[in-house]
Amino acid sequence: MRSWFRKARLQRSPLRGMSLFADLGARELAVIDALLHRRSYVADEVIFDEGEEGNALYIILDGEVAIVRRDWPGDGVVARLTRGAFFGDLALLDNLPRSAQARAATHCHLAAFFRDDFFGLLETHARIAAKILPPLVRHVGLRLREAAGDKAAQHL
Amino acid sequence: MSTRHSHRFTAYALQGGDFGFASGRHGGPVVWAAIIAMTCLLLVLLQQVLWLVVPGLLALILYYLLHGPTRALVMRSIDPAPAATLVMGLFLALCAVLGILLLPMAARNLLDWQGSIERYLNGGLQLLDRSLRALEAAWPALARAELADGVAARLAQVGTSLIEYLEPLALALLTALPTLLLAPFLAFFMLRDGARFRRFLVAAVPNAFFERTLCLLHELDRTLRAYFIGLMKLTVLDTLTLAAGLWLLGFDAPLLLGLICAVLAWVPFVGSIFGGLLVVLVAATDFPHAPEMAGWAAALFVFARLLDDFVYMPATIGRSLHIHPLITVLMIFVGGAIAGVSGLMLVLPLLGVVMVVGETVGRIVTDQRLRARHRHARLLRRAQAEVDLVAPG
Repeated sequence: MRSWFRKARLQRSPLRGMSLFADLGARELAVIDALLHRRSYVADEVIFDEGEEGNALYIILDGEVAIVRRDWPGDGVVARLTRGAFFGDLALLDNLPRSAQARAATHCHLAAFFRDDFFGLLETHARIAAKILPPLVRHVGLRLREAAGDKAAQHL
Repeated sequence: MSTRHSHRFTAYALQGGDFGFASGRHGGPVVWAAIIAMTCLLLVLLQQVLWLVVPGLLALILYYLLHGPTRALVMRSIDPAPAATLVMGLFLALCAVLGILLLPMAARNLLDWQGSIERYLNGGLQLLDRSLRALEAAWPALARAELADGVAARLAQVGTSLIEYLEPLALALLTALPTLLLAPFLAFFMLRDGARFRRFLVAAVPNAFFERTLCLLHELDRTLRAYFIGLMKLTVLDTLTLAAGLWLLGFDAPLLLGLICAVLAWVPFVGSIFGGLLVVLVAATDFPHAPEMAGWAAALFVFARLLDDFVYMPATIGRSLHIHPLITVLMIFVGGAIAGVSGLMLVLPLLGVVMVVGETVGRIVTDQRLRARHRHARLLRRAQAEVDLVAPG
């Protein structure tokens, strides 16, 4: 009975269906869920600043987040991210300063994945890590290609 | 013995610990004054709840010792809670087996503990008497001053009163013994619910300071783990070194004696002195017709302490931590002055923890941008809460 309730709870897990965790089973999602920190932000609240030391990746559980850069033309909004998207991923792989500011565009709920917890997961749950890493690396690669494209466009 | 031999934490710090001036984490003078003041205040407070501090410290040691096996089970796809239960269960079973095996021997020795103490004290007094009389024979000036007789009379007086004090002290220790049962209890919950408790703590932190707090907790955990695991390894190495030496000299129960000396060395200054005295007393009593044995035992003890400081310490506790030597030594004296032996034991681990917390809080408090973000978030939340409070029109 207890395991049935647990399974039912996991079926309702907000992480289910997220692109980063698409390949994880219910039990694996529970392991990840135990590592995440839930945070809520009001509209217009800064999540992290450009140039700040980054220590966590954020997953949007609900709401909308704007990624803002000072040197970006117009209102500086590089992207608007919605439920299921994640950001701050470079900080997870390397503690470089944040390349942009993240700001809550609407009231939103986020799950934060602390860098040292992520590296702990790589060590203790290699199978889960192997399922998370491909989408994460694809995302970083996409962003690098976008950044390279922007730079080329600026040169033209 | 110099101050360097007294305490692992001192040397740990002196050899460059993570406490303090590490990785560019320099606090300003105000932050440092606050860190020292807070450490002193905590020492005073902890002295009032010493019955809880000792099991707490033991629980931390046990937690870090059992964390490795628990993690190994988690890596084999066992959930953290059952893994913690299994590891703690096995540990308690091992303790029970050891207890059953050692209980008869311990009971025999306990029955005669007062007699044993008297015997070893007398052995030490006789050694001192023989040494002083040898000195009197060599220097007539000392003989004329009746040095040996005077010292013997005074020590006999001190010895009698010491035994009078030992009985209530032993009874007080026996009364405090049940609180030690708290240690495995606390360690079990740290193992099982540590991550959950950390999330609970972090949930109370405002968003602006969230990532800094995560880093702080991680740093605290890393620092304490490095220290306690290193301390355990060092204790094992010290025990084995002393035991091997004492066995070669022909002592009875060398492993037990080595272990007692290694554990006594956890207490700065006083611990090493007591350890050295203990070895000499045992040598003087067990080898009454070989006075040179006490000298050999003392030499072995000094050798073990030197080996500890210059070889074992860097290899176990490491060189990765940084603290200013002046602060370390001063704080040991301050700890002793405030809280006696318990202060000597606690002051440096406490300083390490307060330093990590103090420096992080200092960086947060002096970070105008973080504080501005926090104020901004509070205004936003207040505005959101006040929406629709006033009726339109």
